[in-house]
Amino acid sequence: MPRILLHRAAVYTLLAAAVLIVMFPLVWMALTAVKSNGQIINPAAPLWPTEWHWSNIPDAWGKAPFARWFVNTVVFAVAATLGQLAAGMLAGYAFAMFDFPGRRVLFALALSGLMIPFSAIIVPVAQILGDLHWLNTYQGLIVPNIASGLATFLFRQFFLGAPRQLAEAARIDGASELRIFWQVYAPLARPATAALGIILFLQNWNNFLFPLIAVNTTKMQVISQGLAVFQSQMTTQTQYNLIMSASLIAIVPVLLVAVAAQRHIVEGITLGAVD
Amino acid sequence: MRTGRPRSGRSRADRRNWGLAYLFVAPTVLLTVVFSIVPLVMLGWRSLQKGNVFGTSLRFVGMRNYREMLAEGGGKALGVTAEYTVAFVLLTMFLGLVLALLLNAKVPGASRLRAPFIIPLVVPAVATALIWGNLFAPRFGLLNRLLSGAGLSEIDFVSRPGPALGMVILFGTWQFFGQNVILYLAALKTLPQDVLEASSVDGAGPWQRFRYMQWPMLRRNTLLILVVTTLTGLQTFTQIYVLTSGGPDGATRTALFYVYDQGFAKFDAGRADAMGMLLFLLSLAVTGLQIAMLGRRDGRA
Repeated sequence: MPRILLHRAAVYTLLAAAVLIVMFPLVWMALTAVKSNGQIINPAAPLWPTEWHWSNIPDAWGKAPFARWFVNTVVFAVAATLGQLAAGMLAGYAFAMFDFPGRRVLFALALSGLMIPFSAIIVPVAQILGDLHWLNTYQGLIVPNIASGLATFLFRQFFLGAPRQLAEAARIDGASELRIFWQVYAPLARPATAALGIILFLQNWNNFLFPLIAVNTTKMQVISQGLAVFQSQMTTQTQYNLIMSASLIAIVPVLLVAVAAQRHIVEGITLGAVD
Repeated sequence: MRTGRPRSGRSRADRRNWGLAYLFVAPTVLLTVVFSIVPLVMLGWRSLQKGNVFGTSLRFVGMRNYREMLAEGGGKALGVTAEYTVAFVLLTMFLGLVLALLLNAKVPGASRLRAPFIIPLVVPAVATALIWGNLFAPRFGLLNRLLSGAGLSEIDFVSRPGPALGMVILFGTWQFFGQNVILYLAALKTLPQDVLEASSVDGAGPWQRFRYMQWPMLRRNTLLILVVTTLTGLQTFTQIYVLTSGGPDGATRTALFYVYDQGFAKFDAGRADAMGMLLFLLSLAVTGLQIAMLGRRDGRA
Protein backbone atom coordinates (compact mmCIF):
# COMPACT_ATOMS: atom_id res chain seq x y z
CA MET A 1 0.00 0.00 0.00
CA PRO A 2 2.62 2.63 0.85
CA ARG A 3 4.35 1.76 -2.43
CA ILE A 4 1.19 2.71 -4.32
CA LEU A 5 0.93 5.98 -2.42
CA LEU A 6 4.56 6.76 -3.14
CA HIS A 7 3.98 5.97 -6.80
CA ARG A 8 0.96 8.28 -6.89
CA ALA A 9 2.79 11.08 -5.14
CA ALA A 10 5.64 10.84 -7.65
CA VAL A 11 3.28 10.91 -10.63
CA TYR A 12 1.35 13.89 -9.26
CA THR A 13 4.51 15.83 -8.43
CA LEU A 14 6.02 15.32 -11.87
CA LEU A 15 2.76 16.18 -13.62
CA ALA A 16 2.23 19.26 -11.50
CA ALA A 17 5.77 20.45 -12.26
CA ALA A 18 5.22 19.91 -15.99
CA VAL A 19 1.90 21.76 -15.95
CA LEU A 20 3.47 24.68 -14.08
CA ILE A 21 6.37 24.92 -16.53
CA VAL A 22 4.06 24.75 -19.53
CA MET A 23 1.64 27.35 -18.22
CA PHE A 24 4.24 29.69 -16.77
CA PRO A 25 4.93 31.75 -19.93
CA LEU A 26 1.22 32.57 -20.23
CA VAL A 27 1.03 33.62 -16.59
CA TRP A 28 4.15 35.73 -17.09
CA MET A 29 2.54 37.35 -20.13
CA ALA A 30 -0.55 38.30 -18.11
CA LEU A 31 1.55 39.73 -15.26
CA THR A 32 3.82 41.66 -17.62
CA ALA A 33 0.86 43.01 -19.56
CA VAL A 34 -0.38 44.99 -16.56
CA LYS A 35 2.99 46.23 -15.24
CA SER A 36 4.28 49.71 -15.80
CA ASN A 37 6.96 49.84 -18.46
CA GLY A 38 9.41 51.16 -15.90
CA GLN A 39 8.95 48.08 -13.75
CA ILE A 40 9.62 45.79 -16.75
CA ILE A 41 12.82 47.51 -17.84
CA ASN A 42 14.30 47.81 -14.35
CA PRO A 43 16.17 44.54 -13.63
CA ALA A 44 16.00 45.21 -9.89
CA ALA A 45 12.22 45.75 -9.74
CA PRO A 46 10.04 43.08 -8.09
CA LEU A 47 8.77 40.30 -10.37
CA TRP A 48 5.17 40.66 -9.17
CA PRO A 49 3.40 43.81 -10.45
CA THR A 50 3.74 46.62 -7.89
CA GLU A 51 0.86 48.49 -9.50
CA TRP A 52 -1.78 46.94 -11.71
CA HIS A 53 -2.13 48.97 -14.90
CA TRP A 54 -5.27 47.43 -16.33
CA SER A 55 -5.51 50.33 -18.76
CA ASN A 56 -2.54 48.87 -20.70
CA ILE A 57 -4.93 46.48 -22.41
CA PRO A 58 -7.31 49.13 -23.84
CA ASP A 59 -4.22 51.28 -24.57
CA ALA A 60 -2.71 48.54 -26.74
CA TRP A 61 -6.09 47.92 -28.38
CA GLY A 62 -6.32 51.61 -29.29
CA LYS A 63 -2.83 51.84 -30.81
CA ALA A 64 -3.44 49.47 -33.72
CA PRO A 65 -6.45 48.24 -35.75
CA PHE A 66 -6.87 45.03 -33.76
CA ALA A 67 -10.64 44.95 -34.43
CA ARG A 68 -10.00 44.94 -38.18
CA TRP A 69 -7.32 42.25 -37.83
CA PHE A 70 -9.72 40.08 -35.81
CA VAL A 71 -12.42 40.49 -38.46
CA ASN A 72 -9.95 39.52 -41.19
CA THR A 73 -8.83 36.49 -39.19
CA VAL A 74 -12.41 35.38 -38.54
CA VAL A 75 -13.34 35.75 -42.23
CA PHE A 76 -10.22 33.88 -43.34
CA ALA A 77 -10.31 31.11 -40.74
CA VAL A 78 -14.07 30.46 -40.94
CA ALA A 79 -14.26 30.53 -44.74
CA ALA A 80 -11.12 28.44 -45.24
CA THR A 81 -12.26 25.85 -42.68
CA LEU A 82 -15.78 25.54 -44.12
CA GLY A 83 -14.27 25.27 -47.58
CA GLN A 84 -11.83 22.55 -46.49
CA LEU A 85 -14.59 20.56 -44.78
CA ALA A 86 -17.01 20.89 -47.70
CA ALA A 87 -14.46 20.12 -50.42
CA GLY A 88 -12.93 17.31 -48.38
CA MET A 89 -16.27 15.73 -47.55
CA LEU A 90 -17.48 15.82 -51.17
CA ALA A 91 -14.25 14.42 -52.56
CA GLY A 92 -13.88 11.84 -49.80
CA TYR A 93 -17.47 10.67 -50.36
CA ALA A 94 -17.00 10.33 -54.12
CA PHE A 95 -13.70 8.43 -53.74
CA ALA A 96 -15.28 6.08 -51.20
CA MET A 97 -18.71 5.48 -52.75
CA PHE A 98 -18.46 5.85 -56.51
CA ASP A 99 -16.50 3.91 -59.07
CA PHE A 100 -15.57 6.08 -62.01
CA PRO A 101 -12.90 6.18 -64.71
CA GLY A 102 -9.71 7.86 -63.49
CA ARG A 103 -10.57 7.45 -59.82
CA ARG A 104 -7.10 6.27 -58.81
CA VAL A 105 -5.30 9.04 -60.64
CA LEU A 106 -7.64 11.71 -59.29
CA PHE A 107 -7.27 10.32 -55.77
CA ALA A 108 -3.48 10.45 -56.06
CA LEU A 109 -3.76 14.05 -57.31
CA ALA A 110 -6.08 15.00 -54.44
CA LEU A 111 -3.62 13.58 -51.88
CA SER A 112 -0.49 14.94 -53.57
CA GLY A 113 -0.93 18.14 -51.59
CA LEU A 114 0.07 16.16 -48.49
CA MET A 115 3.46 15.45 -50.08
CA ILE A 116 4.05 19.06 -51.20
CA PRO A 117 4.56 21.21 -48.10
CA PHE A 118 3.32 24.73 -48.63
CA SER A 119 6.53 26.07 -47.14
CA ALA A 120 8.55 24.76 -50.09
CA ILE A 121 6.41 26.50 -52.72
CA ILE A 122 5.79 29.93 -51.16
CA VAL A 123 7.54 31.80 -53.97
CA PRO A 124 5.61 30.26 -56.92
CA VAL A 125 2.32 30.48 -54.97
CA ALA A 126 2.95 34.20 -54.46
CA GLN A 127 3.64 34.50 -58.20
CA ILE A 128 0.36 32.75 -59.02
CA LEU A 129 -1.55 34.99 -56.60
CA GLY A 130 0.07 37.99 -58.28
CA ASP A 131 -0.88 36.73 -61.76
CA LEU A 132 -4.48 36.28 -60.60
CA HIS A 133 -4.46 39.79 -59.05
CA TRP A 134 -5.44 38.10 -55.80
CA LEU A 135 -2.77 39.62 -53.56
CA ASN A 136 -4.35 41.57 -50.69
CA THR A 137 -7.81 40.07 -51.26
CA TYR A 138 -9.99 37.73 -49.19
CA GLN A 139 -10.22 35.23 -52.05
CA GLY A 140 -6.43 35.21 -52.22
CA LEU A 141 -6.32 34.32 -48.52
CA ILE A 142 -9.09 31.73 -48.65
CA VAL A 143 -9.21 29.86 -51.97
CA PRO A 144 -5.64 28.49 -52.06
CA ASN A 145 -6.23 26.88 -48.65
CA ILE A 146 -9.44 25.02 -49.53
CA ALA A 147 -8.01 21.84 -51.05
CA SER A 148 -7.09 19.67 -48.07
CA GLY A 149 -5.47 16.31 -48.65
CA LEU A 150 -5.96 15.53 -44.97
CA ALA A 151 -9.71 16.23 -45.05
CA THR A 152 -10.13 14.27 -48.30
CA PHE A 153 -8.24 11.30 -46.89
CA LEU A 154 -10.07 11.28 -43.55
CA PHE A 155 -13.54 11.63 -45.07
CA ARG A 156 -12.76 8.85 -47.56
CA GLN A 157 -11.69 6.61 -44.67
CA PHE A 158 -14.83 7.52 -42.79
CA PHE A 159 -17.23 6.82 -45.66
CA LEU A 160 -15.45 3.57 -46.53
CA GLY A 161 -16.34 2.41 -43.03
CA ALA A 162 -19.96 3.61 -43.22
CA PRO A 163 -22.64 0.94 -43.80
CA ARG A 164 -23.51 0.47 -47.50
CA GLN A 165 -26.98 -0.89 -46.82
CA LEU A 166 -28.24 2.63 -46.04
CA ALA A 167 -27.50 3.79 -49.59
CA GLU A 168 -29.02 0.70 -51.12
CA ALA A 169 -32.19 1.04 -49.08
CA ALA A 170 -32.47 4.72 -49.99
CA ARG A 171 -31.97 3.91 -53.69
CA ILE A 172 -34.80 1.39 -53.56
CA ASP A 173 -36.93 4.13 -52.05
CA GLY A 174 -36.07 6.25 -55.08
CA ALA A 175 -33.84 8.80 -53.37
CA SER A 176 -31.43 10.65 -55.65
CA GLU A 177 -27.66 10.21 -55.13
CA LEU A 178 -27.42 13.81 -54.00
CA ARG A 179 -30.09 13.25 -51.35
CA ILE A 180 -28.42 10.03 -50.23
CA PHE A 181 -25.21 11.95 -49.70
CA TRP A 182 -26.77 14.94 -47.99
CA GLN A 183 -29.48 13.32 -45.89
CA VAL A 184 -28.06 9.89 -45.13
CA TYR A 185 -24.26 10.00 -45.08
CA ALA A 186 -23.29 13.61 -44.35
CA PRO A 187 -25.11 13.53 -40.95
CA LEU A 188 -23.26 10.33 -40.03
CA ALA A 189 -19.98 12.18 -40.44
CA ARG A 190 -20.89 14.92 -37.98
CA PRO A 191 -18.69 13.84 -35.03
CA ALA A 192 -15.65 13.32 -37.27
CA THR A 193 -16.37 16.68 -38.92
CA ALA A 194 -16.35 18.45 -35.56
CA ALA A 195 -12.94 17.07 -34.55
CA LEU A 196 -11.38 17.74 -37.93
CA GLY A 197 -13.07 21.13 -38.17
CA ILE A 198 -11.69 22.43 -34.90
CA ILE A 199 -8.14 21.39 -35.82
CA LEU A 200 -8.38 22.94 -39.28
CA PHE A 201 -9.91 26.08 -37.79
CA LEU A 202 -7.07 26.50 -35.28
CA GLN A 203 -4.49 25.84 -38.00
CA ASN A 204 -6.06 28.48 -40.22
CA TRP A 205 -6.45 30.91 -37.34
CA ASN A 206 -2.78 30.56 -36.41
CA ASN A 207 -1.47 30.39 -39.97
CA PHE A 208 1.22 33.00 -40.29
CA LEU A 209 3.34 32.09 -43.31
CA PHE A 210 0.50 32.00 -45.83
CA PRO A 211 -1.04 35.38 -44.94
CA LEU A 212 2.49 36.79 -44.86
CA ILE A 213 2.93 36.11 -48.58
CA ALA A 214 -0.72 36.71 -49.60
CA VAL A 215 -1.54 40.03 -47.91
CA ASN A 216 0.60 42.91 -46.67
CA THR A 217 -1.70 45.90 -46.18
CA THR A 218 -2.85 46.89 -42.69
CA LYS A 219 -6.43 46.59 -43.92
CA MET A 220 -6.05 42.98 -45.01
CA GLN A 221 -3.64 41.50 -42.48
CA VAL A 222 -4.65 38.85 -39.97
CA ILE A 223 -4.11 39.08 -36.22
CA SER A 224 -0.77 37.20 -36.19
CA GLN A 225 0.70 39.53 -38.80
CA GLY A 226 -0.76 42.56 -37.12
CA LEU A 227 0.76 41.48 -33.82
CA ALA A 228 4.19 41.11 -35.45
CA VAL A 229 3.88 44.60 -36.95
CA PHE A 230 2.71 46.02 -33.62
CA GLN A 231 5.66 44.38 -31.89
CA SER A 232 8.23 46.01 -34.17
CA GLN A 233 6.59 49.43 -33.69
CA MET A 234 6.40 49.07 -29.91
CA THR A 235 9.94 47.69 -29.63
CA THR A 236 11.36 50.86 -31.14
CA GLN A 237 9.33 52.77 -28.53
CA THR A 238 10.32 50.13 -25.90
CA GLN A 239 6.69 49.72 -24.83
CA TYR A 240 7.16 46.15 -23.64
CA ASN A 241 4.02 46.17 -21.48
CA LEU A 242 1.88 47.01 -24.50
CA ILE A 243 3.48 44.18 -26.51
CA MET A 244 2.41 41.74 -23.78
CA SER A 245 -1.06 43.34 -23.60
CA ALA A 246 -1.45 42.85 -27.34
CA SER A 247 -0.27 39.22 -27.05
CA LEU A 248 -2.88 38.74 -24.34
CA ILE A 249 -5.54 40.18 -26.65
CA ALA A 250 -4.48 37.76 -29.40
CA ILE A 251 -4.31 34.72 -27.13
CA VAL A 252 -7.46 34.99 -25.00
CA PRO A 253 -10.09 34.23 -27.69
CA VAL A 254 -8.17 31.15 -28.84
CA LEU A 255 -7.62 30.06 -25.26
CA LEU A 256 -11.38 30.15 -24.64
CA VAL A 257 -12.08 28.09 -27.77
CA ALA A 258 -9.33 25.64 -26.80
CA VAL A 259 -10.67 25.10 -23.30
CA ALA A 260 -14.26 24.72 -24.54
CA ALA A 261 -13.39 22.34 -27.37
CA GLN A 262 -10.63 20.43 -25.59
CA ARG A 263 -12.00 16.95 -26.34
CA HIS A 264 -12.44 17.64 -30.04
CA ILE A 265 -8.94 19.11 -30.24
CA VAL A 266 -7.37 16.03 -28.69
CA GLU A 267 -9.33 13.82 -31.09
CA GLY A 268 -8.41 16.05 -34.02
CA ILE A 269 -4.67 15.97 -33.24
CA THR A 270 -4.80 12.18 -33.29
CA LEU A 271 -6.73 12.23 -36.58
CA GLY A 272 -4.29 14.71 -38.07
CA ALA A 273 -1.27 12.48 -37.64
CA VAL A 274 -2.16 10.14 -40.49
CA ASP A 275 0.03 11.75 -43.14
CA MET B 1 -37.42 10.57 -61.42
CA ARG B 2 -34.76 7.92 -61.75
CA THR B 3 -34.96 4.63 -60.03
CA GLY B 4 -31.75 3.34 -58.56
CA ARG B 5 -30.81 -0.24 -59.17
CA PRO B 6 -29.12 -1.84 -56.22
CA ARG B 7 -26.12 -3.88 -57.35
CA SER B 8 -24.93 -7.02 -55.74
CA GLY B 9 -21.63 -7.16 -53.89
CA ARG B 10 -19.64 -3.93 -53.47
CA SER B 11 -21.80 -0.98 -54.37
CA ARG B 12 -20.65 0.07 -57.84
CA ALA B 13 -22.55 3.20 -58.76
CA ASP B 14 -23.78 3.20 -62.35
CA ARG B 15 -22.63 5.44 -65.16
CA ARG B 16 -25.19 8.08 -64.32
CA ASN B 17 -23.22 8.77 -61.13
CA TRP B 18 -20.00 9.55 -62.95
CA GLY B 19 -20.99 13.16 -63.49
CA LEU B 20 -21.81 13.57 -59.82
CA ALA B 21 -18.53 11.90 -58.80
CA TYR B 22 -16.48 14.23 -61.01
CA LEU B 23 -18.41 17.19 -59.64
CA PHE B 24 -17.68 16.10 -56.08
CA VAL B 25 -13.94 15.63 -56.56
CA ALA B 26 -13.49 18.67 -58.84
CA PRO B 27 -12.92 21.41 -56.21
CA THR B 28 -10.25 19.45 -54.34
CA VAL B 29 -8.51 18.14 -57.44
CA LEU B 30 -8.53 21.43 -59.36
CA LEU B 31 -7.39 23.53 -56.40
CA THR B 32 -4.65 21.03 -55.58
CA VAL B 33 -3.44 21.25 -59.17
CA VAL B 34 -3.50 25.06 -59.25
CA PHE B 35 -2.06 25.71 -55.78
CA SER B 36 0.22 22.71 -55.19
CA ILE B 37 1.19 20.91 -58.39
CA VAL B 38 1.57 23.88 -60.73
CA PRO B 39 3.64 25.74 -58.09
CA LEU B 40 5.82 22.66 -57.68
CA VAL B 41 6.47 22.51 -61.44
CA MET B 42 7.17 26.25 -61.45
CA LEU B 43 9.50 25.75 -58.49
CA GLY B 44 11.55 23.15 -60.33
CA TRP B 45 11.64 25.18 -63.55
CA ARG B 46 12.31 28.58 -62.00
CA SER B 47 15.04 27.18 -59.75
CA LEU B 48 17.04 26.85 -62.96
CA GLN B 49 16.55 30.49 -63.95
CA LYS B 50 17.50 33.95 -62.83
CA GLY B 51 14.85 36.61 -62.21
CA ASN B 52 12.99 38.25 -59.33
CA VAL B 53 9.76 37.11 -57.69
CA PHE B 54 7.39 38.90 -60.07
CA GLY B 55 9.98 39.41 -62.82
CA THR B 56 9.25 38.43 -66.40
CA SER B 57 12.83 38.58 -67.67
CA LEU B 58 13.85 35.05 -66.82
CA ARG B 59 16.96 33.49 -68.24
CA PHE B 60 18.12 29.91 -67.98
CA VAL B 61 21.21 29.42 -65.81
CA GLY B 62 21.19 25.67 -65.15
CA MET B 63 22.36 24.69 -61.68
CA ARG B 64 23.88 28.08 -60.89
CA ASN B 65 21.15 29.03 -58.39
CA TYR B 66 21.80 25.82 -56.47
CA ARG B 67 25.57 26.40 -56.41
CA GLU B 68 25.21 30.05 -55.37
CA MET B 69 22.54 29.19 -52.83
CA LEU B 70 24.67 26.50 -51.18
CA ALA B 71 27.80 28.66 -51.18
CA GLU B 72 26.15 31.85 -49.94
CA GLY B 73 24.23 31.07 -46.79
CA GLY B 74 22.11 28.18 -48.02
CA GLY B 75 24.57 25.50 -46.95
CA LYS B 76 24.74 27.03 -43.51
CA ALA B 77 20.94 27.25 -43.42
CA LEU B 78 20.70 23.52 -44.13
CA GLY B 79 23.12 22.88 -41.27
CA VAL B 80 21.05 25.06 -38.92
CA THR B 81 17.90 23.23 -40.07
CA ALA B 82 19.53 19.90 -39.29
CA GLU B 83 20.68 21.04 -35.83
CA TYR B 84 17.31 22.57 -35.03
CA THR B 85 15.29 19.61 -36.31
CA VAL B 86 17.36 16.93 -34.56
CA ALA B 87 17.22 18.75 -31.22
CA PHE B 88 13.52 19.59 -31.67
CA VAL B 89 12.59 16.01 -32.57
CA LEU B 90 14.56 14.44 -29.71
CA LEU B 91 13.26 16.87 -27.09
CA THR B 92 9.61 16.86 -28.15
CA MET B 93 9.51 13.08 -28.53
CA PHE B 94 11.25 12.40 -25.23
CA LEU B 95 9.08 14.83 -23.28
CA GLY B 96 5.98 13.71 -25.15
CA LEU B 97 6.59 10.08 -24.24
CA VAL B 98 7.46 10.78 -20.60
CA LEU B 99 4.37 12.91 -20.04
CA ALA B 100 2.13 10.48 -21.90
CA LEU B 101 3.37 7.69 -19.60
CA LEU B 102 2.67 9.85 -16.54
CA LEU B 103 -0.79 10.80 -17.79
CA ASN B 104 -1.44 7.13 -18.55
CA ALA B 105 -0.38 5.99 -15.08
CA LYS B 106 -3.16 4.40 -13.06
CA VAL B 107 -3.56 7.44 -10.86
CA PRO B 108 -6.98 9.03 -10.29
CA GLY B 109 -7.52 12.15 -12.37
CA ALA B 110 -4.15 12.02 -14.11
CA SER B 111 -5.52 11.81 -17.63
CA ARG B 112 -7.60 14.93 -17.04
CA LEU B 113 -4.37 16.93 -16.76
CA ARG B 114 -3.64 16.64 -20.48
CA ALA B 115 -5.47 19.89 -21.35
CA PRO B 116 -2.65 22.28 -20.36
CA PHE B 117 -0.28 20.56 -22.79
CA ILE B 118 -2.37 21.36 -25.84
CA ILE B 119 -2.54 25.07 -25.06
CA PRO B 120 0.91 26.13 -26.36
CA LEU B 121 0.07 24.19 -29.51
CA VAL B 122 -3.15 26.02 -30.32
CA VAL B 123 -2.59 29.63 -29.28
CA PRO B 124 -1.05 31.96 -31.90
CA ALA B 125 2.70 31.34 -32.23
CA VAL B 126 3.45 35.01 -32.83
CA ALA B 127 2.00 35.88 -29.43
CA THR B 128 3.82 33.11 -27.57
CA ALA B 129 7.07 33.93 -29.39
CA LEU B 130 6.74 37.49 -28.08
CA ILE B 131 6.44 36.11 -24.53
CA TRP B 132 9.62 34.07 -24.99
CA GLY B 133 11.35 37.11 -26.41
CA ASN B 134 10.46 38.89 -23.18
CA LEU B 135 11.56 35.98 -20.95
CA PHE B 136 14.92 35.71 -22.76
CA ALA B 137 15.56 39.45 -23.15
CA PRO B 138 19.03 40.73 -22.18
CA ARG B 139 19.26 42.37 -18.73
CA PHE B 140 15.57 42.65 -17.81
CA GLY B 141 14.39 39.26 -19.13
CA LEU B 142 13.32 36.89 -16.36
CA LEU B 143 15.93 34.26 -17.25
CA ASN B 144 18.83 36.70 -17.10
CA ARG B 145 17.50 38.20 -13.89
CA LEU B 146 17.41 34.73 -12.34
CA LEU B 147 20.93 34.02 -13.60
CA SER B 148 22.37 37.24 -12.20
CA GLY B 149 20.34 36.76 -9.02
CA ALA B 150 22.03 33.37 -8.59
CA GLY B 151 25.42 35.05 -9.06
CA LEU B 152 25.93 33.57 -12.55
CA SER B 153 26.86 35.55 -15.63
CA GLU B 154 24.04 36.63 -17.90
CA ILE B 155 23.54 35.06 -21.32
CA ASP B 156 22.96 37.21 -24.37
CA PHE B 157 20.32 35.26 -26.29
CA VAL B 158 20.01 38.01 -28.88
CA SER B 159 23.53 38.52 -30.20
CA ARG B 160 25.29 35.22 -29.43
CA PRO B 161 24.73 32.46 -32.03
CA GLY B 162 24.66 29.43 -29.73
CA PRO B 163 22.25 30.80 -27.12
CA ALA B 164 20.03 32.25 -29.88
CA LEU B 165 19.64 28.82 -31.49
CA GLY B 166 19.13 27.27 -28.06
CA MET B 167 16.36 29.76 -27.29
CA VAL B 168 14.57 28.99 -30.57
CA ILE B 169 14.86 25.22 -29.93
CA LEU B 170 13.50 25.58 -26.39
CA PHE B 171 10.60 27.68 -27.60
CA GLY B 172 9.78 25.22 -30.39
CA THR B 173 9.89 22.37 -27.89
CA TRP B 174 7.60 24.17 -25.43
CA GLN B 175 5.20 24.94 -28.24
CA PHE B 176 4.98 21.51 -29.89
CA PHE B 177 5.73 18.73 -27.40
CA GLY B 178 2.04 18.68 -26.42
CA GLN B 179 1.28 17.17 -29.80
CA ASN B 180 3.51 14.22 -29.00
CA VAL B 181 1.96 13.92 -25.53
CA ILE B 182 -1.45 13.49 -27.18
CA LEU B 183 -0.16 11.12 -29.88
CA TYR B 184 1.75 8.90 -27.44
CA LEU B 185 -1.16 8.93 -24.99
CA ALA B 186 -3.56 7.83 -27.74
CA ALA B 187 -1.08 5.10 -28.72
CA LEU B 188 -0.66 3.89 -25.11
CA LYS B 189 -4.44 3.58 -24.78
CA THR B 190 -4.57 1.18 -27.73
CA LEU B 191 -2.09 -1.29 -26.19
CA PRO B 192 -3.64 -4.54 -24.93
CA GLN B 193 -4.32 -3.75 -21.26
CA ASP B 194 -4.70 -7.40 -20.17
CA VAL B 195 -1.16 -8.22 -21.26
CA LEU B 196 0.21 -5.22 -19.38
CA GLU B 197 -1.79 -6.12 -16.28
CA ALA B 198 -0.59 -9.70 -16.41
CA SER B 199 2.98 -8.43 -16.39
CA SER B 200 2.29 -6.39 -13.22
CA VAL B 201 0.92 -9.48 -11.57
CA ASP B 202 4.12 -11.25 -12.52
CA GLY B 203 5.98 -8.58 -10.58
CA ALA B 204 7.29 -6.41 -13.40
CA GLY B 205 7.90 -2.81 -12.23
CA PRO B 206 6.92 0.25 -14.26
CA TRP B 207 10.37 0.47 -15.87
CA GLN B 208 10.46 -3.18 -16.92
CA ARG B 209 6.92 -2.93 -18.19
CA PHE B 210 7.91 0.07 -20.30
CA ARG B 211 11.25 -1.29 -21.49
CA TYR B 212 10.14 -4.78 -22.47
CA MET B 213 6.45 -4.33 -23.29
CA GLN B 214 5.21 -0.82 -24.03
CA TRP B 215 8.26 0.50 -25.87
CA PRO B 216 8.48 -2.42 -28.33
CA MET B 217 4.72 -2.32 -28.87
CA LEU B 218 4.90 1.40 -29.58
CA ARG B 219 7.47 1.05 -32.36
CA ARG B 220 5.05 1.75 -35.17
CA ASN B 221 3.62 4.79 -33.38
CA THR B 222 7.10 6.06 -32.61
CA LEU B 223 7.96 5.91 -36.29
CA LEU B 224 4.82 7.83 -37.25
CA ILE B 225 5.41 10.43 -34.54
CA LEU B 226 9.04 10.73 -35.67
CA VAL B 227 7.93 11.55 -39.21
CA VAL B 228 5.23 14.02 -38.18
CA THR B 229 7.61 15.76 -35.76
CA THR B 230 10.44 15.91 -38.30
CA LEU B 231 8.14 17.52 -40.87
CA THR B 232 7.03 20.06 -38.24
CA GLY B 233 10.66 20.78 -37.39
CA LEU B 234 11.63 21.27 -41.04
CA GLN B 235 8.85 23.82 -41.45
CA THR B 236 9.62 25.97 -38.44
CA PHE B 237 9.13 29.58 -39.45
CA THR B 238 6.98 31.81 -37.25
CA GLN B 239 9.12 31.21 -34.18
CA ILE B 240 12.25 32.35 -36.00
CA TYR B 241 10.56 35.23 -37.82
CA VAL B 242 9.42 36.73 -34.53
CA LEU B 243 12.25 35.79 -32.15
CA THR B 244 15.45 36.22 -34.15
CA SER B 245 14.73 36.99 -37.84
CA GLY B 246 17.34 34.34 -38.59
CA GLY B 247 20.08 36.15 -36.67
CA PRO B 248 22.57 36.69 -35.22
CA ASP B 249 24.69 36.26 -38.33
CA GLY B 250 22.50 33.48 -39.74
CA ALA B 251 22.76 31.33 -36.60
CA THR B 252 19.01 30.66 -36.60
CA ARG B 253 18.37 31.03 -40.33
CA THR B 254 16.72 27.73 -41.24
CA ALA B 255 16.11 26.49 -44.79
CA LEU B 256 12.54 27.79 -44.81
CA PHE B 257 13.57 31.14 -43.41
CA TYR B 258 16.22 31.30 -46.14
CA VAL B 259 13.52 30.70 -48.78
CA TYR B 260 11.41 33.50 -47.33
CA ASP B 261 14.34 35.86 -46.94
CA GLN B 262 15.66 35.32 -50.49
CA GLY B 263 12.23 35.35 -52.09
CA PHE B 264 10.48 38.15 -50.25
CA ALA B 265 13.21 40.37 -48.80
CA LYS B 266 16.09 40.01 -51.28
CA PHE B 267 13.83 39.21 -54.25
CA ASP B 268 16.18 36.53 -55.59
CA ALA B 269 13.53 34.04 -56.68
CA GLY B 270 16.08 31.70 -58.26
CA ARG B 271 17.95 31.03 -55.03
CA ALA B 272 14.71 30.90 -53.02
CA ASP B 273 13.30 28.32 -55.43
CA ALA B 274 16.49 26.26 -55.37
CA MET B 275 16.24 26.02 -51.57
CA GLY B 276 12.47 25.43 -51.83
CA MET B 277 13.20 22.48 -54.08
CA LEU B 278 15.64 21.02 -51.54
CA LEU B 279 13.08 21.53 -48.79
CA PHE B 280 10.47 19.70 -50.87
CA LEU B 281 12.84 16.80 -51.59
CA LEU B 282 13.79 16.60 -47.93
CA SER B 283 10.14 16.40 -46.81
CA LEU B 284 9.44 13.86 -49.54
CA ALA B 285 12.34 11.71 -48.36
CA VAL B 286 11.05 11.77 -44.77
CA THR B 287 7.50 10.84 -45.83
CA GLY B 288 8.79 8.25 -48.31
CA LEU B 289 10.88 6.64 -45.59
CA GLN B 290 7.78 6.34 -43.43
CA ILE B 291 5.69 4.81 -46.20
CA ALA B 292 8.46 2.36 -47.07
CA MET B 293 8.94 1.28 -43.45
CA LEU B 294 5.24 1.00 -42.67
CA GLY B 295 4.67 -0.88 -45.93
CA ARG B 296 7.40 -3.38 -45.09
CA ARG B 297 5.96 -4.01 -41.65
CA ASP B 298 2.45 -4.37 -43.09
CA GLY B 299 3.76 -6.94 -45.54
CA ARG B 300 5.30 -8.99 -42.80
CA ALA B 301 2.26 -8.88 -40.54
